Amino acid sequence: MQLQLGDTVDGVLNLALIGRLDTPGVDQIETRLTAHLVPRGARAMVDLSQVTFLASGGIRMFITIARALSRKGGRLVLYGAQPLVAEVLETTSLNNIVPVRADATTAGSVARG
Amino acid sequence: MPASPIDARRVEIRFPGSHEGFADAFRRLRHALDREALSASTRYNAELVFEEIVANIVGHGARKGREPDVRVTLEARPDSIVLIFDDDGVPFDPRGRPDPVKPTSLEEAKVGGFGLMLVRHAASSLEYLRTAEDRNQLIVRVPRQP
Repeated sequence: MQLQLGDTVDGVLNLALIGRLDTPGVDQIETRLTAHLVPRGARAMVDLSQVTFLASGGIRMFITIARALSRKGGRLVLYGAQPLVAEVLETTSLNNIVPVRADATTAGSVARG
Repeated sequence: MPASPIDARRVEIRFPGSHEGFADAFRRLRHALDREALSASTRYNAELVFEEIVANIVGHGARKGREPDVRVTLEARPDSIVLIFDDDGVPFDPRGRPDPVKPTSLEEAKVGGFGLMLVRHAASSLEYLRTAEDRNQLIVRVPRQP
């Protein structure tokens, strides 16, 4: 599992996750992702287009980070999920509480607020 | 253990219920699935069931600090992939467990219970029994999808 840091545009951090968000993948990435986003209360958009597998550990991680950001005035937006990953987001209703968008343009709009 | 039909291919994976055992077993499962002609959806669902059930055994199954002994049998049948989870950990029958309430706000959202929800979504049936050898046995059928 890799975390790729992108540009910051209009105050919105753009990041990409690459690989599998299974138990080992979450173990590898969660501390680093949290440390990068939460202390600064970031507005962040996360590209999921290269995430090939998502399970409940990843859902838990996204809820935890999104809630921590929300309490600091930040925001987490997910975008670009492949169809089977998007199905997991919908099955768990994560998309009801964390914005999930199809592409970077619409994700950026939501993240900027 | 259910009788195996003649046209089912079976692979058994045995491992200690530790993080290392889990990671190694997942690699072996994916290798076994590589040999099957599965749609992307069926493949994903089989991996999802394995991930969620084994993560639960590893995370909550230890008895008196001893990691469980886990055996997973993969049966490739013409209409489904059947995963049989057999472990000597804490008794756990998932069938009666309710799904978490679907979250409507970040503040109210629970962070647990999604694994079983995903298993139910991926599977067409779950059967559970506590064996005479004091082991959990969970049989999960993942239908083949086009």
